[in-house]
Amino acid sequence: MKRFVLILLAICLLAGASPICAMPATEDVHIFTLKNGMKILVLEDHAIPNVTLQIFFKVGSRNEYPGITGLSHFLEHMMFNGAKKYGPKMFDRVLENAGGSSNAYTTENVTTYQDWVPESALELIFEMEADRMGSLALDEKIVESERGVVLSEYTTGYENSDYELLDDQLRSVAYQAHPYRWPVIGYESDIRNWQRLDIKDYFDRYYAPNNAIAVVVGDVTLAQVKTLAEKYLEPIPARAPPRAVHTREPEQRGEKRLFVHKDVSSPHILIVYHVPETGTADYYALDLLSAILSQGKSSRLYSALISDKPLATEISTYMPNALDPTLFYVYAVCADGVSVKTLEKAILREIDNVVAKGVTGTEIQKAQNNVVASFYRSLETMSNKADMIGTYEIFFGGYQKLFTAPEVYRKVTAMDIKTVAAKYFKKTNRTVGVLEKSEGK
Amino acid sequence: MILKKRRIRILCLRIFIMAVLGTWAAVVCLVMPPGIVNAAQRETSSFKLPAYEKITLKNGLTVYLMEHHGVPLIYVSAVFPAGAVRDAGKSGLAYLTAETLLSGTKSYRKKQIEERLELLGVKYYAYADIESAGISMSFINTDQDKVFPLLKEVFQDAVFDPAEFEKRKKRLLLELVQEKEQPSMVIGAYFNKFVFGSHGYGNPIYGTRASVKKIKSIDAKAFYNAHYRPEESVLVIVGDFQTARMKKKVQELFEAWRSKKKPPPLERIPLPAFDKSRVLLVNKSDATETQFAFGALGIPRNHPDYVAVQVVNTVLGGRFTSWLNDELRVNAGLTYGAGSSFNTYKDSGTFVISSFTSADTTVKAIDLALDVLNRLHTEGMDQETLTSARNYLIGQFPPLYETPGSLASLLAATFVYGFDESFVNDFQKNVENVTIEKARKIIAKHFPEDSLQFVLIGKAAAIRDQVRKYGELSEKDIKSDGF
Repeated sequence: MKRFVLILLAICLLAGASPICAMPATEDVHIFTLKNGMKILVLEDHAIPNVTLQIFFKVGSRNEYPGITGLSHFLEHMMFNGAKKYGPKMFDRVLENAGGSSNAYTTENVTTYQDWVPESALELIFEMEADRMGSLALDEKIVESERGVVLSEYTTGYENSDYELLDDQLRSVAYQAHPYRWPVIGYESDIRNWQRLDIKDYFDRYYAPNNAIAVVVGDVTLAQVKTLAEKYLEPIPARAPPRAVHTREPEQRGEKRLFVHKDVSSPHILIVYHVPETGTADYYALDLLSAILSQGKSSRLYSALISDKPLATEISTYMPNALDPTLFYVYAVCADGVSVKTLEKAILREIDNVVAKGVTGTEIQKAQNNVVASFYRSLETMSNKADMIGTYEIFFGGYQKLFTAPEVYRKVTAMDIKTVAAKYFKKTNRTVGVLEKSEGK
Repeated sequence: MILKKRRIRILCLRIFIMAVLGTWAAVVCLVMPPGIVNAAQRETSSFKLPAYEKITLKNGLTVYLMEHHGVPLIYVSAVFPAGAVRDAGKSGLAYLTAETLLSGTKSYRKKQIEERLELLGVKYYAYADIESAGISMSFINTDQDKVFPLLKEVFQDAVFDPAEFEKRKKRLLLELVQEKEQPSMVIGAYFNKFVFGSHGYGNPIYGTRASVKKIKSIDAKAFYNAHYRPEESVLVIVGDFQTARMKKKVQELFEAWRSKKKPPPLERIPLPAFDKSRVLLVNKSDATETQFAFGALGIPRNHPDYVAVQVVNTVLGGRFTSWLNDELRVNAGLTYGAGSSFNTYKDSGTFVISSFTSADTTVKAIDLALDVLNRLHTEGMDQETLTSARNYLIGQFPPLYETPGSLASLLAATFVYGFDESFVNDFQKNVENVTIEKARKIIAKHFPEDSLQFVLIGKAAAIRDQVRKYGELSEKDIKSDGF
């Protein structure tokens, strides 16, 4: 298999390095669905004697409501605190004893569990994942100590990141209705008050095999994975599909502004615009535009606000993966002695400039080249491959899109970028947040 | 840029809490359920370093070439003996030199360098740490003839344009204030200064405001002339290329590079020794939590006990089930993460236990961490715990060197710190050789018991009286310059 890919690659290079030819290819990913509706994706990769299993549950803070905000994330923690066969502490102990490690993360959209093990522990992780997915214990006492852990995570997050503070506050203003308006970690009062029963209900509702996908990448065979998935995961019964998130953010009807007080040395500014969800028609042009604006020192905003005139110490733009319409972020920190007003004006001038005049062919080419190079880099480790396959399966409508993404980006034109800029970068669609020592008079 | 802000809205179960101190979260396991096999031990095909070639050019530059044909990329890692230990009183000079290294050469202006590299999708950065400075790059292999000539000029003919230098310096002056607003970013610098004192390993990499203000572009140029020299530098290239052709190219491009002057001798200040515990309390008056780090001097990177020390530290504070994380996080719910690490340099290192907790549980958390360290000495570990730690290190080892980028860093590190590929090839054997008896010796020899050095960042008024008990107390305010 490996040799085959190398030959393929050599041919590709002779043919002019088409990005599609990078290894692995679409046909190397195998997909099958268990009787309970759980989808399994497998990519054999024998570079090192290890394997990663990543299970994505389609649940995140967008599935919560006030009173249980932060519960998706808390449940993620509780998944490590005991199930039927492997009791409290056993998940990590057994896994690490077998040479493995694990982690998990929660976003607004998904909760993902990641195991990295030597290939000899493949069966073990299937057994342990099935154990906690099928019969989580939710011990009352551990719920309490884990509450302390999450409160510490809550405190340390805000203590060590002004960005986080500003972002969490700003989303509560930018969104009027959609659950993206609260932080993934939840409100402190909700963290302190939810009960075991809330967690149990939430688990039963969302941790169904038909609401999850598993991605396996590593030194395994498809047949091995099939056997193990059928043995351990298939017996977990399917459940009624969870209710869809139907809240749509109403159209914004004018600029919104926010001020956050904090004793910081220089003001931070975050400007957001409502944009569509990941993978939709305008996504690719917006993503390239984000790169053109802020990726690298030759990008528009970096050169205008940092290299040419010292207005900011850092600047970035960003668009998160999202199942529902989301936000395009522009974030900057004022340089010494620069007022936030001046910086805001300069940022908006650059954005208005794109809206009015578009971008150059060189800029598009640069952004596209970076997409291709990042595509290669994203396929360097088993872990990244699993993450990319899962991400495309969930957010882009199919893992196959991962392999065609470079081509899709290549088709984006200067006109497309000018069009999306004009469509979304409007004052009425904008929310501006400032974090600063004093609001002034 | 020295501030790293989390941009992605992700909450992880466990973070690599000690990004600052150089390791990750940690710990405990005592009993394994019956019937669980030691999977990692069953591994027969142990992981070996891929083949590579090491050559020395006529100018003394050491070059490592390793083919790696997974994806059509080439990784370059160049390392120079130009870290903060060489600041020689101009704190921040090594860092500013590295930061402005790519801002212009004899034939390329700063903007041309950036535009050329970024148009090709090249990922690149220059950096300085305690002992070294370096440039790392990755690019698509078909672009190598556009990238290498530029790299050659950066090695030999960087110009340190005064205007560009002043811009970067001005930003750094503000960043030095900003980083103090994130205690987790600076606790490592406070700790190193506190334990190493005037020894070069105590130098804050990003400098202090008072010092940085005085540095000029001609200082950077002089530093570059003295310390960016082929004789003590290494160029590592890993990726999708043919060795024979690459070797020729490297010779053509880099052999003419000559060092411009002799470097001043590195000031040899003796390492400090401690006969009592000390506490540095850094006041952050608006803090709601306390960050703490305590420990002592540790071992250098090429110490023969390096791997054995990692095995023991895995048990104490080097993984999620480690004793520290188990007690402080899992059992007590006092923190999001606790761990310990050995940070190693050429001639010395540190051992650090670190965590964070809310202000009112500061003493409870530190006492608990001290109990755990004490338990390591009084009770030691049992066979099952040791076996588990060994399995863990062996099982997690191959992914560390899965990518061409990580292999390039490894090869550069072998050169800088004076170890070789036996670190990789004998890793499994050396881990398995750690017996209970050996672990006991390692604990006695390398894990400190007393004269511990504590650094705490938090609200001094709230914790001052309680933390006095840990040792001789001194205080600083986080807003005052330096560490």
